[in-house]
Formats: sequence, C-alpha cells, structure tokens
Amino acid sequence: MTPYLLAAPLIAFMIAFYVLPVVAMLMRSVSDPSWTLQHYAALPDDVVFLKTFANTFYTSLIVTLASLLLGYPVALALVRAPRWALVILVLIMLPFWTSVLVRSYAWMVLLGRHGLFNEALIAAGMIDRPLRILNTPLATQIAMSHILLPYMILPIANALRQIDPSLLRAASGLGSPPWRTFLQVTLPLSMPGVAAGVLLVFVLALGFYITPAMVGGPREITISMLIAQRVDQLDWAYAATLSAVLLATALAIIGAFYRLPGVGNAFRMNAR
Amino acid sequence: MSKHHSIRFGRRATLGLLGAGLAAPFIRPAAAQAAWPEQTTIPDILKGSGEVRIAGFGGTMNEAQIKAYYEPFEKISGIKVRAFPGSDPTKIKAMVETGNVEWDLAQLSRGSIMNLQKRGDYFEKIDYDIIDSGVDPAYRFEYGLEMLVWAQVLAYRKDLVKGEPKGWADFWDTKKFPGERAMYGTTSGGFPEMEFALMAAGVPPDKVYPIDIDKALASYEKIKKDVIKWWDTGAVPIQLLTDREVAMTTVWNGRMAALQAAGVPAEISWSQGLSKRDAWGIPKGAKNKANAMKFVAYSTMAIPQARIAFAIPYGSVNNASNEYIPPDRLAVLPSAPDIKKQLINYNYDWWIDNREAAVSRFNKWLLS
Repeated sequence: MTPYLLAAPLIAFMIAFYVLPVVAMLMRSVSDPSWTLQHYAALPDDVVFLKTFANTFYTSLIVTLASLLLGYPVALALVRAPRWALVILVLIMLPFWTSVLVRSYAWMVLLGRHGLFNEALIAAGMIDRPLRILNTPLATQIAMSHILLPYMILPIANALRQIDPSLLRAASGLGSPPWRTFLQVTLPLSMPGVAAGVLLVFVLALGFYITPAMVGGPREITISMLIAQRVDQLDWAYAATLSAVLLATALAIIGAFYRLPGVGNAFRMNAR
Repeated sequence: MSKHHSIRFGRRATLGLLGAGLAAPFIRPAAAQAAWPEQTTIPDILKGSGEVRIAGFGGTMNEAQIKAYYEPFEKISGIKVRAFPGSDPTKIKAMVETGNVEWDLAQLSRGSIMNLQKRGDYFEKIDYDIIDSGVDPAYRFEYGLEMLVWAQVLAYRKDLVKGEPKGWADFWDTKKFPGERAMYGTTSGGFPEMEFALMAAGVPPDKVYPIDIDKALASYEKIKKDVIKWWDTGAVPIQLLTDREVAMTTVWNGRMAALQAAGVPAEISWSQGLSKRDAWGIPKGAKNKANAMKFVAYSTMAIPQARIAFAIPYGSVNNASNEYIPPDRLAVLPSAPDIKKQLINYNYDWWIDNREAAVSRFNKWLLS
C-alpha cells in the first residue's frame, strides 16, 4: 500500500495537469465540430499527411540506426574501460544537458557552406567547393543522431554492466577468441539494452520539430510541424487527429517492444 | 512525450531569442541622432487607473515598444502597462474558450484576428470614437486596429550578387543572378508568397489579387530547385544571409537593420515588396477592456507612432507621424512615401477567405 501512497501526489499531478488536458485535446479529433470520425476517414487520402508521416518515419529509422552503430561501441568502452568511464560519461552528458536549440545552432555552425567542416576539408585540399550539407535531410539526420545518442548509449551500457564477468572469463577459458565472445556472449546478453535504446531513440525521433526546421532541407516537413501548422491555422480538430495518430504509433511501438524478452528490465537501474 | 513536441517557433516570438544580441546595437544610434518627439498632453478620456496587460512579441520589438509608448503612456495616463511576450492567436482562442483571459490586448495581424473571429466571438469591437483622426481609414477594421506597418521584401548579399536585383522576375532569374534562394514557407503556419510568384510570372502588381493559385504554383515550380529553405520565422533568412548560405531571400524588413548594423553587406530591394501590418486586438472578455481601448487610442496617435520608428524601422499608421521623423530615418521606413509606392498592399481579406486552400495546395506542391 505504501508505494502507492508515495506515488499518489505525482499521479494526481499527472492526471490533473497532463492526462486531462491531453485527453481534452485529443477528444477534439472526434468531437469537433460534432461527433464524427470524418477527420480520421480523410487521412488515407491526404497526400500531405502520408508523405509527411513517411518522411518522419524514415528519418527516425535512419537516426535510430546511426545512433545504434555509433552508440554501441561507446557504451562498450564506458563499461570496459573504467579508467575512462568518467571522461566518456561527461562527454556524453554535457551535450545532453544543453538545449536542443543550442545544439541545432552548433550544427549550423559546423555544417554550413562556410562552416568549420567545409573549411577544414577545403584547407586539407580534399574538396574544391563547399559541400551542401546544411539544409539537407543529411544535416537533420546528423544533428538528430547526435542529440539522441545518450538515449541509446545509456540503456546499452546499463545492459552491458549487468553481464556477469565470469561468463566472459568462462568463454575465453574455453578458448573463445575475443570477437567470438563478443558475438556469442556479450551481444546477445546486451540485446535488452539495445532494444530499450532503439525504442527510446525511435519514439523520441518521431516527435522532432526544431532540429529538422533549423538544419533540414526545403521539403522536410515532419509530423510535428504539420501539427503546429494546423494549430496555427486554427484547425484544431485536424491537429488533434494527427496528434492521436502520432501518439498511437508511439504507443504501438512501445507495446511491441515491451513484449520482447528482457526489455522491461533494461529500464530498471541497478537491476542486479 | 518529449520536450521536442512542445517547442514551437512563434511567428516572431523567437525574435528575442535569436535576434536580440544582433539587434541591440542599432537601437542606440538612431536614438542618439535626433531627439524623440514627446506627447505632452492627451484627451482626458484616455486617462484612467489600474493596469493593462499587453501581449507582444518580446525581444527587440518589446524594447522598442517600452520606450516608444508603454512608458510614456504610464506616465501620462496613470494606467500601468504590463507587457507579456508570445502573443499568439491560438493562445487567445484557448483563453477565450476557457474563460481565463490573461491579456487585455494583443499584437496580432488583421488576418489572424479575422480568421479567429470567423470561427466565433473572440475579440471586442474597437471604439472608433476615441481613435485619433489621423489614423488612415485603410488601417481600421471592426475587431482591431492596425498599428505597425512593415514589409516583406527582397534582400540580397552585395558580395554574392552582381548588380541590383529589382522585383521578382530578377529573384527568379538564377542565370542573371546566380546563387541559392530562401522564401517564406508554410512550415508552422506561414503563408506562401504567392504574390511574388505571380509577379515573377509577369502579373502586374495591381492585378495580383485575387490570387490565381494554379498560376502561382506553376511559377514557383521554376524556382523550386534553387530554394534551399522555406523559412517560417524571421530570424532564419537573416541567419542564412549572415552565413552566406543564400545570395537572395525574402525577409521582414525590420530584421535587416540589425544585420546591416552588424556589418553584413546585405541590402533591401523594396520594389514589388508586400506592405503588411500588425494590429491591436482586444480579446473578448478582457478584464481591463476600457484601459486596453485607451491604450489603443494613445499608441496610434501621431507622436507615439513616430516614436516607434525611432527605435525600430517600422512605419506608422497615422498620417501625421511622418513630420516627427527625421528624413534620414524616414528613408528606411516602409511607410515613407518613396518606398510605399514601390510596395503592394497585402490583401488580408483574400487571405482570410482562401488561406486553407492556398496553404494546402502549396504543401501538396512542395512535397510532390
């Protein structure tokens, strides 16, 4: 009983200031102007919605893959090189504590036509004319991967830390070379962390707004931008419909992932 | 779900965030050059007590307004002004619908006021009996009063563009004026610049309205591959010019002064620009409605209107204001006679009636 009592203030707060307003907003998708499902019925024929949704999904997928490939080795280093752990952790967390707006601006400075990256390549004689990276989908993918990396690294590191070191010793004692120990012991046992990281990054990426707007290409409209656009046009019923679809998508993905073995555990700190 | 959902760029709400540092230097020189005119008396009907809560856009605009008419109004009327950033028609919709009206007055546009008013009763009527006779009839409407004249114009970098582009045919001509472009888009509630697309296709300025959407999109098609960014907040084109990402873009004129003051070799070409206005609107049920009305009347008098132009390069809605503005300052204002005649008047009525169709057609075209 006590745990529930302890959580009661937070639960009451969330219901009053989060759940109720969200439900009230989402209700507009079926109650505005009168009870109807027409807003949902119109979606399959809405080209702008379909393209925007596909684009958002595609970007999230690329960003998830990129942060997995970049993040896994970092997580491994974090756990396996205790001497550097603090440095690595600070390097991961510092950007994490900086606002998305500031980080997106930093990427504009780096990736711009006359930004550091292009100037360095030109100075090194590798290119003659600056590459167009800023204001393209690639810039969005780079900046979003950077912003979301901590969400990938931390759950994976947590899973890696929970692997019993004696298993690794046993593997090498039985003559397994390190790469094989990694593939057959470490990697499978870290999968719950990978799944948790993938889930977090993908779902967060679905809702991105500022970064694509700032560094993205001319035709990059995300589902959040479309929602903002409709809110601004005072078409709140349509905005609510889009929000409901986005929320349902995120919940479906979360639901599917939680059914994978061990994923629920990966979110727990110090589970051992 | 994540904080990225909730952060939106307001139309000019990010001005303070993105432009304040850049903009600060240009307020002082203008103020130093000539003494600001003072409004020394006002009709008794504009005096009162209590307070008025005014929502503006924050940042540089707010600083200009404090000096131009918030502080003088407090002194002369006895009514205290409380300024809030983040004016937004969607917030007014929510405030009025929930009966929790936190602002007595908001800086909006005729378009956003009338778009909201079309859907219900969200604004109080303006009491024109107390409005100064110098306010041009063109700026008056039932549910609001226009109070700031600005322009959406062509701007270019002098070091990237050879010669002087004039008008939209030049903007479209990437052979004569090579280089990337940026234009106002629809990402978070903007309006496509279909007027410019039409003039680029040879439609004379006085024949732009009613807008032929098909013709505008066909014209846009010719520039599409050169537009690297469809901006939706005024800081973006300024940033793109500063970073040499584009050679030419459309801008809100007020932003350019800050850019030029920062030493960027960029220039406005006023020809065929759009003259737009901001307007005061009083949300329905505002607690200090009477004070708000008094403030609307005061801030559109000739001298307060002239004072705003001292602080920020925006023009006046009062025909008598220009005589209080020194000629060198007047020369950069969209309401200056020489500039005004090069601009076309943005037709809010057309956009109020056709916004949804135009924006959804534009979106579809952009994504195709």
